[in-house]
Amino acid sequence: MATMATEIGTAAATVNVQNVRKVYHRDSQEIVVLDGINLSVPQGEFVALMGPSGSGKTTLLNLIAGIDRPTSGSVIVADTNVATLSEGALAKWRSHNVGFIFQFYNLIPVLTAVENVALPLMLSPLSGKQRRERALTALKIVGLADRSQHYPKQLSGGQEQRVAIARAIVTDPKVLVADEPTGDLDAKSAEEILNLMQTLNQEFKKTIVMVTHDPRAAQRAHSQKHLEKGVLLKG
Amino acid sequence: MKYVPFILKHLRRNWIRTSSTVMAMAVCIFLFCTLQTFIKAVTWNLQSANASRLVTRHNVGLIFPLPLAYEARIEAVPGVKRVSILSWFGGYRDINKRTEFFPNMAVEPETYLAMYPEYLIPEDQKQAFFRDARGCIVGRDTAKNFHWKIGDTVQLESFIPTYRIGKPFEFVVDGVYDSDPVRYPGTDLTQMFFKYKYLYEATGRQVQAGTYTIEINDPNQAGAISKTIDSLFENSDAQTHTETESAFRAGFTSMIGNLTLLLNGIAIAVMFTILLVTANTMSMAVRERRTEIAVLKTLGFPSGLVMGLVLGESLVLGALGGTVGILLGSFMIKALPHLPFIGDAVRGFPNLGMSFFVGGLGMAVALFLGVFAGFVPASLAYRARVTELLRQI
Repeated sequence: MATMATEIGTAAATVNVQNVRKVYHRDSQEIVVLDGINLSVPQGEFVALMGPSGSGKTTLLNLIAGIDRPTSGSVIVADTNVATLSEGALAKWRSHNVGFIFQFYNLIPVLTAVENVALPLMLSPLSGKQRRERALTALKIVGLADRSQHYPKQLSGGQEQRVAIARAIVTDPKVLVADEPTGDLDAKSAEEILNLMQTLNQEFKKTIVMVTHDPRAAQRAHSQKHLEKGVLLKG
Repeated sequence: MKYVPFILKHLRRNWIRTSSTVMAMAVCIFLFCTLQTFIKAVTWNLQSANASRLVTRHNVGLIFPLPLAYEARIEAVPGVKRVSILSWFGGYRDINKRTEFFPNMAVEPETYLAMYPEYLIPEDQKQAFFRDARGCIVGRDTAKNFHWKIGDTVQLESFIPTYRIGKPFEFVVDGVYDSDPVRYPGTDLTQMFFKYKYLYEATGRQVQAGTYTIEINDPNQAGAISKTIDSLFENSDAQTHTETESAFRAGFTSMIGNLTLLLNGIAIAVMFTILLVTANTMSMAVRERRTEIAVLKTLGFPSGLVMGLVLGESLVLGALGGTVGILLGSFMIKALPHLPFIGDAVRGFPNLGMSFFVGGLGMAVALFLGVFAGFVPASLAYRARVTELLRQI
């Protein structure tokens, strides 16, 4: 895989999207969601993807996260062309390489904070105790160690999102993808989440690709990319 | 195993729905086990039927007696080895307490016991029984149940008008018979046998024979001998019907219709209903958790594992329902003979109790229903695409 990345001359980039086209079919109609996207995100970069609704931001994010496949083109993330992997291999790849942060947190309501964070580690060979220790460390990083036994409904929106971030980083992935991580939060909580993401980027050197509508959130990123009607705008 | 707590936590999420599904499953398994136990009890004594034994009864019905004179004529039929009268006595220790039912019959001891090698009784006890005019032998289970010992004098009063003589019959326990369950499966150890002669004398020599039990030399001749016996009495007032012992017992059972078919039909209908109920529960549970399924898949849970978790939940529902159902069934089967009305109907079944086989079968059915009901929602979870699920959030 490393060879493949080198061949296209982007060895330093963690995310490399080349000539990606994504087309959906509805009845006989062909809907082009992404058209000829080229995007390179170097390691340790914090990129904000912006654009109006329906511009294809989330689709592009899903392709980078390996939960969707391009119709054509290649998506190389952490030295792997995810478009070529089978479903099973893709799932395994996701569990090691990508942390996903959702807009609505999507914590499992029947699990405590620490259990939610430990969920991705269930796929690892770690023992229950090791999983718990790692999850607590992740919760400590996001400042919620004292809430480890709380259920999602006992947490505020901002706290829930921080637990979700802890879940995203617990496997120590190379790339974090976030889909409107502050979209459901008040200004103060949004600020805290953005600070946390900045910390993860600066101190833990995580490559972050974040979809957002919020210009203030986008300003925290190193660079901003704009999508419109499935095309990445220059500049 | 590490996913078990995860599955259990999900089941606890909507505990009302989970417990009602478990109870529905439990009722299904309870009915299944209870019905299977009855089917087994009803057909149980067919196992002990011997192909070389015939039974001659009144052609009209069992409640009509046969003349005593028939015995010698049957005995004279070529191929017949020996004959014994068997009359149902219908005795109770306390006529007002019919919950203490056990089969008790008047027989001709020498010939009858010679026909039934499955009743294992020490020779001295057998001889004592032959000698004692008021003697009786009882099966091990009845002796244990009533704490009867050899030498005890016991009293029984019959509910059959012909045998009611104004006072109870007195018997002396001369022997306790046992059996070899491997060699002679299905042998009833709850019976009591006493001398027909005692019954005959005590009732003023008025009674006739209930049935004749016949041993023949060659089981292959059963059909021909039966025909010959019945033809002997074709033109008499008391025409006979002779059949093999197993046919007699099966016929006895079929007096209440094709019970096995009926009970199995009920069991299948109940199982099908519970299958739909459980499938509906699992579908609702999966539908409610589309987001969570999307999250699990996003985190890297393979589709097969997600399917396994849903099936696991369904399996746990089945196992819980099965356990509760088997316990309920086991308790109810023990309690039924003591209940009014229904107790009278079921008390006649010997060895009524849930066997390991029926319990195991009940659990297997519960697990099968669980897995089967969870299969469709689990496969939907397997096939669901993450992007489609996330789009619905």
